[in-house]
Amino acid sequence: MKSVIIALAATLLLVACGKTKKPDEQAFLNSLDSAKKGPTIDEAVINSILEQIPSPLEISVLLKESGTKYNYSLLNSPDNLSKYNSNFKKAINLGVYGTDLGYTNIYQQNKDGIKYLASIKSLANELNIGQFFDIETIGRLATNSKNLDSLLLITTQNFNSINHYLQTQGRANLSVLLLTGGWLEAMQITCQVASKNPKSKELREKIGEQKIILEQIVLLFGFYKEDENMASLLKDLTDLKAAFDKIKITYTYKESSMEVVNGVAVIKDNSTTTIDITDADVQNISSITNSIRTKIAN
Amino acid sequence: MKKIISSVFLLSLIALSTPLASQCNSENFANACIPKLATGFNFLKSYKVDGEGGSKEKVEYSYVFTKGTQYMINLCANGAATDGIVVTLFDSGRNKVATSKINGQFISAIAYPCNATGIYYIQYTFDGGGGKCGGSALGFKR
Repeated sequence: MKSVIIALAATLLLVACGKTKKPDEQAFLNSLDSAKKGPTIDEAVINSILEQIPSPLEISVLLKESGTKYNYSLLNSPDNLSKYNSNFKKAINLGVYGTDLGYTNIYQQNKDGIKYLASIKSLANELNIGQFFDIETIGRLATNSKNLDSLLLITTQNFNSINHYLQTQGRANLSVLLLTGGWLEAMQITCQVASKNPKSKELREKIGEQKIILEQIVLLFGFYKEDENMASLLKDLTDLKAAFDKIKITYTYKESSMEVVNGVAVIKDNSTTTIDITDADVQNISSITNSIRTKIAN
Repeated sequence: MKKIISSVFLLSLIALSTPLASQCNSENFANACIPKLATGFNFLKSYKVDGEGGSKEKVEYSYVFTKGTQYMINLCANGAATDGIVVTLFDSGRNKVATSKINGQFISAIAYPCNATGIYYIQYTFDGGGGKCGGSALGFKR
């Protein structure tokens, strides 16, 4: 009978232990300095907006497939790492470096990619989210160009895990910074490439359609006006939004058609968007983007 | 006394195991969907589809799709088919753009070559008496 009671007590103890926070989670929660707890807001709303922000990888793929050559000088130097001393700077530049890593991966510039990996791991560790970044596997995959698909997959998964973790821990403000940094860096790269290819309609439209994403980012920053750093960046993003407001995006819905091909429903999209953007708009947007990017990276 | 303790122990085990048995491990399904994206598609997001045993009629996510990019959304659930899960894509004006249920047939993947940039809603619904539990992955290619 004694053994039955002990077994029962042990079962209940095990169940109770399973509900406590893991040590790394607690360390993370304790370690946040200036990144004060966000205001009392609907985290679900913030998370649903964060989910919408597209991956910067899409732009890197576009650049490569449109024949644009690899240009390391467009990226934020991984040596700038030592400049990032606050959680605000660390989180936003983690996003910046994430885009740079994606860019080097797409162009299979593994030597450069390894440098970004080291800086990313360092920033992630300092933010106590390093456990989500599998640097050993990524480093191994990066040494062989045949592993590109796996490399892209694992880096995307790692960044998704970090964002998910931050959101579930009520630290969505850091997730907002990470995604904004990634988006700003992709914007910076696109604008720089576009300035060298002023006749590229595709690049101009790519810049113009970022209006939709910036609107979501500005919406997100609106939740964190109490934070001095975020309020300052919001002011800059609002200036950028004013430049984007001149761009007209016209959407025309037309019912799509579909057919099943090899077990996949293949859609024929009959809707269209037209993006009216002038050379002056591109120049203005590029100039403001460059100014914000300089501010956050230095 | 022995009988009472044994009964309490058995009831505890039943109480602990029942929710586990009916729990939807949508994360596993979502992860299983990632390698099932067609060749050439780069992984973007994985989505958990948990109908919470029928208490939820739909699960919805949103994403900005861009013109000139082809997206693929696939579905994974118990068994080879989609277990009654249907994915439907709506544009920002809530116009239906695509669905994985065509002529009564449940299709496990949608390929969507986007022609209009904007916010799209990826909505999962549960048709019939399936487990209302699954996962999905989103990928892209140019």
